[in-house]
Amino acid sequence: MTTSGITRRGALRMFGIGALGVAGAGALGACAPSGAGTSSGGDTKSKNFDFTSWSLNEEAAKPSIEKIIAAWEKAEGSKIRAVSYPYNEYLSQLTLKLGGGETTGAVHLDIAWLAAVAQMGKLADLGSVALKGGYTNVALDSGMYDGKQYGLPWNTGSIGVIANSSLLEKAGIKKHPTTVEEFEGALRELKGLGGGVVPYAAATKVAQLKDIFPWMQTFGCTLLEDSKVTIGDDASIDAVTWYKKLHDEKLIAADVDRFDARALFGQGKAAFYDDAIIGKGVTAAQSKDKTLADAMRPMKRPVLRAGDTPQALLWGGVIAIVKGKGQDAATEFALHTTTDRATTTEYFAARALPPSTTAGLSDPKVAQDTFTTEWTEKITDTATGSPFWQFAQNAQIEEAVAKQVQAVLVGTSKPKDAMKKAAEEVNDLIKR
Amino acid sequence: MTSTTSTPLAGTDRLRPSATSAGRTSRRRMRKDLLRSRIAAWTAIVVIGAFGMLPVYWLLATALSSPEQTFQFPPKLIPTDITFSNFTALAENDQLITYLVNSLIVASITAVLSVVVATYMGYSFSKFRYRGRRSLMHMVLASQMFPQALLLVTLYAVFSSFGLLNTYTALVLSFTTFTMPLCVWMLKGIFDTIPDALLEAASIDGASRWRTLHSIVAPLAAPGMIAAGLFAFVRGWNDFIFAVTLADKEKQTLPPGLVSTYIGEFQTAWPELMAASLVVSAPVVVAFMFLQRYLVGGMTAGSVKS
Repeated sequence: MTTSGITRRGALRMFGIGALGVAGAGALGACAPSGAGTSSGGDTKSKNFDFTSWSLNEEAAKPSIEKIIAAWEKAEGSKIRAVSYPYNEYLSQLTLKLGGGETTGAVHLDIAWLAAVAQMGKLADLGSVALKGGYTNVALDSGMYDGKQYGLPWNTGSIGVIANSSLLEKAGIKKHPTTVEEFEGALRELKGLGGGVVPYAAATKVAQLKDIFPWMQTFGCTLLEDSKVTIGDDASIDAVTWYKKLHDEKLIAADVDRFDARALFGQGKAAFYDDAIIGKGVTAAQSKDKTLADAMRPMKRPVLRAGDTPQALLWGGVIAIVKGKGQDAATEFALHTTTDRATTTEYFAARALPPSTTAGLSDPKVAQDTFTTEWTEKITDTATGSPFWQFAQNAQIEEAVAKQVQAVLVGTSKPKDAMKKAAEEVNDLIKR
Repeated sequence: MTSTTSTPLAGTDRLRPSATSAGRTSRRRMRKDLLRSRIAAWTAIVVIGAFGMLPVYWLLATALSSPEQTFQFPPKLIPTDITFSNFTALAENDQLITYLVNSLIVASITAVLSVVVATYMGYSFSKFRYRGRRSLMHMVLASQMFPQALLLVTLYAVFSSFGLLNTYTALVLSFTTFTMPLCVWMLKGIFDTIPDALLEAASIDGASRWRTLHSIVAPLAAPGMIAAGLFAFVRGWNDFIFAVTLADKEKQTLPPGLVSTYIGEFQTAWPELMAASLVVSAPVVVAFMFLQRYLVGGMTAGSVKS
């Protein structure tokens, strides 16, 4: 039914009031300038700059970083604007805001994200600055992409295997297994302990199954060689077949991610698990067993044949500098934060994150920490970055492989078929 | 449920013993059927109730547990060492209060703005006829079908160029973009149920179109407007992606605020997160308890035309 006496003009006026907001937003969207137009501007000599870091949100890290910022502001008479996003949202937020020109100054990056961010063309080359830092070679490598030093390494560590020496002792295992065969034997001994012990709390959930990569490398798969995906070769199939064997023999458990692994390990229900160096503090903190921290030992990942190089994934953070406003001061701040001995030592004491400089690592307060020095020698020294980090689709690549590995674990796919499919999916993702 | 058992005709079989016995059997069957259907109904209620309430129970149990207990494996359904420390810790966190205030401001303004704008749009769609009306209606509906993230980049660029980033305005406008279509359609359905004769009577009595809408139609559509407002409020209250992108820490709302505070790179403070989630859910739960009849009434008001 229609109200009598209503003119079209009157009706449209009613509608117009309501539509104003929506239409306005649409029109503004059409008129909006592109993000690129607003980026990389500003005074590079400005003493004031932004520092973006996910750690500025986190209770454990926030006080230490705020202290570093406050000390810098006081010494230099400058103002640092602290910006933060949750870790899981960090890369997408940073990409959007860097593209839109909102992010300037110093930016904390996970080394796995460096390539994706560097490809945006907004980061400064810090090659000449890095030479002044006294960084270790492995640390410097973690801040490089495409031959350029885009990040000053802040903390350099790795993801490796942590062992519970008390459980190993209980099972009569006197030394850490060094080969895959010895490792398997140790897992069987540990299973014999009973009491619901999961010998190796390896990742079996998709979210964390990227942990399979170092095992694939252990079996001889290079993952990527001269832009060619090698997943699907015999070595990768052998690795997944072996993983499936551990799963079927209940030497590893189903449905485990990093959080579950820490929980199991913390309750003395797992003898080995994969974690970053910082995992020690996290796992020990959530365990009722206050002696657990002393029982935790870094272990070289077992190799296929004696003499092979143990595999580990490089892990850590760098500080990159955005070209434009406050660039010079931000660079000095990044250099100071990552290399000043007192600053890095204090940061290590607060967070157990190993420094990235030779001087920092040799500081007595760092060197006396047995776990850290052992970790650096046993794991970080041979750690390498993932060849897939160079692709913006890294997360999808990891997920694609993880899903296929999980399909093998739950028995819906054969290792050969699954790895072939994974290779196809990774190839498609790389070509995008 | 209705029984399929046939019953003997009254009077004709009353005196026959076999018929009486058959009647008893029939009643027994009916009772059995009734019992069965009651058991089935209660089983369904318990299962569905458990499905809905177990997560809430788990939230409460985790909020009352220590971190060690939270990570206990296998997990315990009933916490043994109950602690309130996760709740007391909330009071010491000023930043959470800021997030809470921001959420209240942004969600409330979003609700009011959505209802005001949707009322005019819905009224126009319902009571006026003009060229392009149907197309506009479908365009409004179609805008609801876009994934939020799709518009995020555009809205970000718009707000950035107008200097609106990190303001309440950016959050309210972006939330309203998504609440509007459903509010418009909800209110249009309600206006459709209001007889045109009422509007004509108002017109004959000398009321202007504005007066008719504000003094006659709006009060009648109040339950629907409350329902639409509640819907918009909850959308605004729960949004994560726009709040984390368009606002900085000072203007951020609870969803990104809680994630920032409790979910870190290496660990999640589950007990504190659950305690905070429980506390911040309280205003919405209370609002729902008081306004639920309007919500149900408002949602279904447009479903039947008079």
